[in-house]
Amino acid sequence: MTAGPATANPTGFRRRLTFSQRQALWGYLLVLPAIALLILLVAYPFLYAIFISFTSRIVGDAGEWVGLDNFRYLSRTSSFEKAVRNTIMLVVVSDIAKLIIGLGLALILNEQIKGRGLYRAFILLPWAMPGFVAFLIWRLLFQPIGGGINLILTETGIYPEIIDWLGQRSTALPAVIIASVWRGFPFWCISFLAALQTVPPDLYEAAKIDGANAIQRFWSVTLPHLKHVILVVTLLSSIWTANSFENIWIMTQGGPSDATMVFPVLAYFGMQTQRLGEAAAVSVAMVPALLILVFVVTALLKEDD
Amino acid sequence: MATVSPSSSYPRRRWAPIAKSVALYGIIAIVIVIILFPVYWMVTISLKIPRDIYRTPSLWPDLVTMDNYRILINEKKFLINIRNSLIVAGTVTATSIVVSSFAAYSVVRFKYRFKGLIGRVILFAYLTPVSLLFIPLSIIIARLQLGNSLFGLIIVYLTFSIPLSTWLLSGYFRGVPAELEEQAMVDGSTRMGALFKILLPLSAPGLVAVAIFTFTGAWNELLLALIFITSEDLRTVPLGLNYLITGDVFLWGPIMAGAVLSSLPVITLYFLAQRFMVHGMTSGGVKG
Repeated sequence: MTAGPATANPTGFRRRLTFSQRQALWGYLLVLPAIALLILLVAYPFLYAIFISFTSRIVGDAGEWVGLDNFRYLSRTSSFEKAVRNTIMLVVVSDIAKLIIGLGLALILNEQIKGRGLYRAFILLPWAMPGFVAFLIWRLLFQPIGGGINLILTETGIYPEIIDWLGQRSTALPAVIIASVWRGFPFWCISFLAALQTVPPDLYEAAKIDGANAIQRFWSVTLPHLKHVILVVTLLSSIWTANSFENIWIMTQGGPSDATMVFPVLAYFGMQTQRLGEAAAVSVAMVPALLILVFVVTALLKEDD
Repeated sequence: MATVSPSSSYPRRRWAPIAKSVALYGIIAIVIVIILFPVYWMVTISLKIPRDIYRTPSLWPDLVTMDNYRILINEKKFLINIRNSLIVAGTVTATSIVVSSFAAYSVVRFKYRFKGLIGRVILFAYLTPVSLLFIPLSIIIARLQLGNSLFGLIIVYLTFSIPLSTWLLSGYFRGVPAELEEQAMVDGSTRMGALFKILLPLSAPGLVAVAIFTFTGAWNELLLALIFITSEDLRTVPLGLNYLITGDVFLWGPIMAGAVLSSLPVITLYFLAQRFMVHGMTSGGVKG
C-alpha cells in the first residue's frame, strides 16, 4: 500500500523499533477497537449461537448438551419445513424479478435520455425510505378495506371482487414478494447503471463496425462487462433477503398459518416461547447455506483488491 | 454517456428512433407511477378522516385533516419515539465513524502481518446477519444488565454499523492517493496528523455518505429493538409503529402519519447527499 522503506524515517526517531515495526504497531493499535468490538459482538455471539443450538437451553436455565436433538425436532415440524420452502421461494423469485427489472431499467437509463438524474433520484425512493415504512405501506395497500390495490382492481374493472391478499394462503407470499421487490430493486438498478457507465464506448463502436446488432452487442459487450457486478449484487441481495425479518414481520408475521413463515421470524417466535436452544437451532440451520454465499462473495470482492 | 445511437442512416427506418424513445419514456413513466403510488397512498391516508379511509375509499382525499398527526403525537407519544431514535442513531453514527475511520486507515495504509485476516474478519462481520446473532446477543446483554436500555441498544447496533462503515470507508480511503499523506509526513507531519489533516478532509464526501448509511441503518432497525426494548418510553420509531399494528384495531391514519414523519428525515438525507450515496453504494459497498 504505502511506500515505507526504512530510508523514509522521520527525523527524531530514537527508539530501537524499526520503521516497519513501528508501522505495524500503529496499524494494530488503530484497528484494535473495531476488531475488539467485532470479536465481542459478532464472532463470539456467532459461535455462541452454534453452541446454544446443541443444548436444551431455555430462559433462566443453561440446559445441557443434547447433540442434534433440536435439529431433529425442528425437521419434523411443519413450521420449519415451510420456513425452508418460503425462504427459498422469497430469495429465488425476488432475485429473478429484481435482476430483470433492475437490469432492464439500468439499460434504459443508460440510453441518451433527458433528465436521467431526476429519474435516478425517483428510482432511489423505495430504497431510501425506511424498510419498515415501505412494508407498512404495502400492508395497507393490500388490505381488503382501505387498501389501494383492491380499489384500483375494482374501479378499473380488472378484477371485480375484493381480495384479502395477506389473509389467504395462496396470495400472501406473492404479496410479500411484490413488496420486497419494490423495496429492493433500486439497489440493483443503480449498481448496474454505475457499472454500465464504465463500459468503454469504443467496444460498442468496434462491435458495430463488425456488424453486431443491438442484441448481439448486449450479449458480447454489455453482459460480459456486467457479469461481476451482477454476481456480487445477486449474492449480497440473497444474503439480505434470506435474513430479512421486517418485510414478513410487518406484513404477515409469518401467517396465515405459516404461509409466509421464514427463518428469522420462526427464530423470533422460538425466542418468545423462551426455548432458546430450539430458537438458536432455527437460525443455525441456515448457516451452511449462508457460509457458502459469504465465501463466494468474499472471494469475488477480494478479487478486486 | 455515449451509447448506441439509433441507426438513422437508413431512410426506411426513420420511424425507429421515435418509436424507440416513445417506448423508453413509456416504460420510465410506468416505473415512476409504480414507485410513487405507494408513497402517494401513504401521504393521502395520513391526511384522511377515518370515514374516507374505510367506508368511502377513493384515490383522492375529499377532506384533508391533520387529526392523524395530532393523535399520533398527543395520544401515541410519537415524539418520544423520535427522541429515542435520534439518541440511538446519533450515538451509533458518531461511535462508528470514529472507530471505523481508525480501522479503515489501518487496513488501507499500514503494513502488518495479519492485515489480510483482519480485512476478512470485517467483511465476514458485514455479511453476518443480525437474525443469526440476536439470540446469543440477548443472553450476553442480559448478563451485562444492559437489557431494556438505550445504551444496550446502541451497543448491539454496533454489530452491524461498524463492519458496514469500516467497509465503506476503506473503499473511500483507497481512492485517495497515498502520496499526499507521504508528502505531508516528509514535511514533518505525524502519521495521525496525516489522517486528520489530509485523508479525512479529502474523504469528506465519503464520510458524509457513510454517516448517512449508518444513521439510517440504526434509525430503521426493528428486530433488535423488538427484542431489547420492553418499556414503552424507550421505544424507537420503528418499534412505536410496530406496536400500532399489533393492537386489536389498526389505526391506519395515525400509522401512515407516523410513516410519513419517520421517512422524512431519512429521505431528505438521501436526496441531499444523493451523489455521494450512489458512489458509496457502488464503489465502496459493491465494487464492480
